[in-house]
Amino acid sequence: MIPVLAQIEVREAGEGATTCQGKNDTFCFDYAIDNLGDYLGPTGEHLLLVVLSVVAGLLIALGLAVISHRRRWLVPVFVGSTGIIYTIPSIALFLLLLPITDRGIATAVIALALYNLQIVYRNSAVGLNNVPASAREAGRGMGMTDRQLLWKVEMPLAMPEIIAGVRIATVSTVAIATLAIFAGAGGLGEVIYTDGIQRDVFKTPIVMGSTICILMAIVLDAVLLVVQRVVSPWRRVRTI
Amino acid sequence: MDGSGSGAVSVAFKDVTKVYPGSEGPAVDSLDLDVGAGEICVLVGPSGCGKTTAMRMVNRTVEITSGDIEIDGTSVSRRTPSELRREIGYVIQQIGLFPHRTIAQNIATVPGLVGWERDRIDARVGELLELISLPAEVADRYPSQLSGGQQQRVGVARALAADPSVMLMDEPFGAIDPINRERLQNEFLRLQAEIKKTILFVTHDIDEAIKMGDRIAILREGGHLAQYATPAELLMDPADDFVEDFVGADRALKRLALMRVSDIDLWEAPLAHVGQATGEVRAKLEGAEVPHALLVDSDRRPIGWLSDSDLRQEVVPQRADSSPHPILDLQDVMRDALSDVLQAESQYAPVVDGDGRIAGVLSVEVIGDFLSSPDAKVEEHPAAERPLG
Repeated sequence: MIPVLAQIEVREAGEGATTCQGKNDTFCFDYAIDNLGDYLGPTGEHLLLVVLSVVAGLLIALGLAVISHRRRWLVPVFVGSTGIIYTIPSIALFLLLLPITDRGIATAVIALALYNLQIVYRNSAVGLNNVPASAREAGRGMGMTDRQLLWKVEMPLAMPEIIAGVRIATVSTVAIATLAIFAGAGGLGEVIYTDGIQRDVFKTPIVMGSTICILMAIVLDAVLLVVQRVVSPWRRVRTI
Repeated sequence: MDGSGSGAVSVAFKDVTKVYPGSEGPAVDSLDLDVGAGEICVLVGPSGCGKTTAMRMVNRTVEITSGDIEIDGTSVSRRTPSELRREIGYVIQQIGLFPHRTIAQNIATVPGLVGWERDRIDARVGELLELISLPAEVADRYPSQLSGGQQQRVGVARALAADPSVMLMDEPFGAIDPINRERLQNEFLRLQAEIKKTILFVTHDIDEAIKMGDRIAILREGGHLAQYATPAELLMDPADDFVEDFVGADRALKRLALMRVSDIDLWEAPLAHVGQATGEVRAKLEGAEVPHALLVDSDRRPIGWLSDSDLRQEVVPQRADSSPHPILDLQDVMRDALSDVLQAESQYAPVVDGDGRIAGVLSVEVIGDFLSSPDAKVEEHPAAERPLG
C-alpha cells in the first residue's frame, strides 16, 4: 500500500480543478470520487458472481460429502478429483468452458463453483467425520434412522467446519471472480482490466477495483463469521 | 412421576448365537437367558466374553446370527430396528450426549422421534430433571457445561424419556471416577426402585455386578454362559473354577456387601445404668460374651464403655471412660460396619435400632465366625431395598 499511497495526488485545497486527471501512473482520488457511480454496477455483478458460485459450490460439495459420508472409500476419490480441478489455471478454465457454455454469467459461475469444491468438500467431509462416535452410536441406539442422524446430529455438528470452508472459498472466489471478465461475465474484473489495464495501465480503476474486492472479501468473511457463530452456540459456552 | 407407565416386560434370549463375519468362533454362543420383568440382569465377564455383543442384539445394533430374542414374548426381528430402539432405553459408557443440543433437547430426543406434542415433551423433561436431581436451570445448558457425573445422569434421563419398558446399559458408570461412580450407582438403584424397568446392564467389574444385579450372568470367553444366578448364590456357590476365579478370592468379603448388620446374630453387652451399684455390673460381666460393660441412658441409648476404674467406684458414674463410637445401625451394610469397626481400632461396636436404642454388640470376632461358618446364609434383598452403601 505504501507505494500506492505515495502516488496518490489529491486536489489542492481551495482549488476547483483536478490536477491528476489524465495521469495514468498515479492514483487519482478525484477521478475515483467523480466516477464512483461507475463502480456500482460491476460491484453488484461481482457480488452476484461470488454469491451464486459459492452457493452452487457449497451445495455440490455438501452433496458429495453426504454421498461419501457412509462410503468412506469415496473420500479420496472426491478429494483427488476436486483437487485436480483446483489446480487448473483459472484463466484456462474460463477459456476451456467458453465453447461449451458460451460467454456469460453461467460460464463464470460454473468455473468459480468448481474451484470452491475442493475447499468446501474437504472441510465438509472432515466435519462430518469429526462427529464424536459416541454421539453417533447414541443416536443410532435411540432409533434415529441414517437420515435423521445425518440431519439432526452429524450435519449440525459439522456446520462450523463447513462454514469455515465456505469462508476460505468465499475470500478466494472474490479474488478469482475478477477473471470472469474473460468469460464475458462482467464484475470488478471489468474495472480492473477493461478500464485499467487496457487503457494503458490506468492505475486509478485498478486500485479502485482491487480495493472494492478487498472490502467485499472482508465484509463477506465477517458476515460468514457471524453465521458460523450463530449456528454453533454450543461452541461459545463456558465449559467446565 | 408416572415412571412405571409402561409396565416392565421380560426379555428372553433363546439359543442366541452371534458370529461376526471373518472371525473364527462365535462371539456369543447359544445363549439362553431369561430376564424377569423389572429385574436388573448384569452381564459380566472378561473382555472378549461377548457381554456387550449379547446386550446389543436386544436392540439390534448387532444382528443375531441364529436363535432369537423375545421382548415380552415378541421376537425383536419382527420390528424394524429404528422402531424397536425407540422403545428401548440405551445408555453407553461414553454417554454420547449431543454436544450441539441443550440438556432439554438431548433428553427430548426419543419423544421427538416418536412425535410427542411440544407440551408433553416439556413436561416430561422437567419431570426427568427432577428425577435425576438436577436443577431445572440446566435444561438450557449444553453438555460441555456439565460435569461427567451430571452428563451421565442426563444420559440416563434421556434413555428414560419415552418411558421404555426395557433399558440397555453398557458400562454406564465406567468412565466416572470411583467416588462419583459409587454415588451414581446408589442413585440409580434408588431410581430403579421407583421405576422398575427391566434392565440389561453390562460391566466388567464384578463388584459393580454384585451391587447392581438382581441376577448376574457371568460369561466367559467365546460367549459361553458360565453361571446365571443371584449375587448371593454366585458368592456362596460358584458353578466352577472360572466363576470362582472371576468372583475373586475375597468373595467372603463381598458377601458382606450384600448383608445388613441385622442379618447376623449379635452379641449381648452387659448394660449398666447411671447410679446402679457397680457390684451388679461386675457380676454381669462374669462369663459375658462382651467383657466390657456398656453405659446406657434411661432410654437404653449407649453413652460409653465403662472402664475398670469406672467400675471400682461405688455406683456407676454419669460418664463412661471411653466413647461408645462407632455406633452402628441395624440397617447398616455389613461391609461398611466392619470398616467402621476396624477404622476406630475398636473390637466392639454397639448396634442400635432405628430409635437409637441398644440392640446388641458387633465384634470383629462375630463377623469372623460368620464368614467361616460354611452354612452361613446370605439373606436375599430385592434390588429395591438392597443396601445402598
